[in-house]
Amino acid sequence: MVTGDNSSKTVVQPKLDRSQAKMLVSDVLAAVIPGLKAEAVDERQELYADLGMDSLRFVQLLVELEGRLSVHLVDEDLMTIDLVNVADLIDLVERISPSAGE
Amino acid sequence: MAGTTRDPLLPTHWFNILHDRPQYVASALPRSQLAGLEDMAGHGLQLQQPFSLARQSLNTADRFIPIPGEVLDRYAQYRPTPLRRAVRLEERLGVNARIYYKYEGANLVGSHKLNTALAQVHYYARAGVKRMVTGTGAGQWGTALAYACQIMGLECTIFWVRSTLRQKPVRGDMMRLFGADVHESPSDLTEVGRRAFTDDPAGIGTLAVATGEGLAFAAEHRETRFAIGSGENSVLLHQTVIGQEAVAQMDLLGEFPDCVIACMGAGSNFGGVALPVLGAAEDRERPVRLIAVESAACPKLTRGRYRYDLSDALGTTPITKVYSLGSTYVPPPVYAGGLRHHSAGPLCSAMYADGSLEAMAIDQDASFRAGLLFCQTEGILPAPEAAHAVAGMIDVVSRHPRHEDPLVVLVNISGHGLLDLGAYQRFTVGEIEAVAVDEASLAKSLGALEDFNQRIAQPAEAT
Repeated sequence: MVTGDNSSKTVVQPKLDRSQAKMLVSDVLAAVIPGLKAEAVDERQELYADLGMDSLRFVQLLVELEGRLSVHLVDEDLMTIDLVNVADLIDLVERISPSAGE
Repeated sequence: MAGTTRDPLLPTHWFNILHDRPQYVASALPRSQLAGLEDMAGHGLQLQQPFSLARQSLNTADRFIPIPGEVLDRYAQYRPTPLRRAVRLEERLGVNARIYYKYEGANLVGSHKLNTALAQVHYYARAGVKRMVTGTGAGQWGTALAYACQIMGLECTIFWVRSTLRQKPVRGDMMRLFGADVHESPSDLTEVGRRAFTDDPAGIGTLAVATGEGLAFAAEHRETRFAIGSGENSVLLHQTVIGQEAVAQMDLLGEFPDCVIACMGAGSNFGGVALPVLGAAEDRERPVRLIAVESAACPKLTRGRYRYDLSDALGTTPITKVYSLGSTYVPPPVYAGGLRHHSAGPLCSAMYADGSLEAMAIDQDASFRAGLLFCQTEGILPAPEAAHAVAGMIDVVSRHPRHEDPLVVLVNISGHGLLDLGAYQRFTVGEIEAVAVDEASLAKSLGALEDFNQRIAQPAEAT
């Protein structure tokens, strides 16, 4: 999924647990959706139908995630994802966040 | 691919205006603010474009973005394109101007569209996509995408606006030679196509419907993605090889344009030539006028409204603020099919709104007259779209006062008109009449555009 930017980095974030991943997702959603408060984000909310995400905001969200996680996302792996709700997005963040020691 | 010689004037990077003007990053309307939207529960969010392509439309960090090696090698087969001074045209017009033109018709598919087709197909192929689908107006985009798909090993499906397909069937043959499946739009293959016959009983077709059909087709087929030929920031980015080359070529001649003129469909040809010149003008602290020439049959800038609008008839693409005539407007079937899109892209719309570009609308007969004059003097037959740019340019240079310094203009000839010979011939024998805006269709479409914007809930801070 990800090629960690591990060639030059000496400090790597540990892999996120689910609550950390949820916190990160809430922050990033609030950053890309005008008017949305991070604390109002719920795992069952649908990204498209409830939060009004579209493809443009989705790309903004991925750019944000890439920056905050210090990872490089690979085109090929992202072409097949299909995220319905916030829980799906949290799953994605758990998968792409770098593991400890990586 | 090895061994392609790259000309030193071939740019190695695309020029990204969003670095200089981050305010031009399109902000889409959150769908939650749109009242009355059909229930989209269960609808999944997917990435329509490869991430590295999609993020180009949002990149404000890099003024120059490297062109991938494979794309550069393909560009090297036909770039740099010629820049010439139109001396014989200047003499014929007797104007106080030095007219330079950049000629994008000198490649296999015959237009600037190849610049982004090669880039887009490169990213999609690398991301594992097996088939590209698109909608095309004049057919130049479809031809370019078909060729790019063929050389990079992808399948290609094209929905082509029926009115244009019937005007120049030979271009369809060209797309099929490159291995594409070509369908007339509106078609009965998609719900969008079937529904389009309500507003357009004759089935003339529009780019909004052809695009909507392409999007619907892509959603229904595995490993298939929709590619867009204009309007999006990333597409304009790919076209900036045109303007960067032009600046370098004019530098060699000791010239810099006072004025850049190009036709405007959704903005990729215009942006491609104008944005790098704008960047260079700002670096050199000198003024430059940028003039977009649209079809009087589809005057989205000069008669459109700056509103949130859908860019296609399917309605699933981001809702952005653009100069628009409304997505249900059916322009008369002018020969410049590439100028029939109902709206300008968000970037050029934002530039028009802040006064960074000027616009003028040209009638079909004036464009054919200008195209013929260009052919008779310079030996190049411009595509009907590019003929609008020539007509606009002639208008500008003709108004330039004799007592001032000569006006230096740069006009982009975005494609050749060799597949439009029939249309030019009909014009010379008086068989092509002036085409006016379809006022009834326009009034209805603008009404629908306003209704659509009424449904947008105002953000809290604005109420």
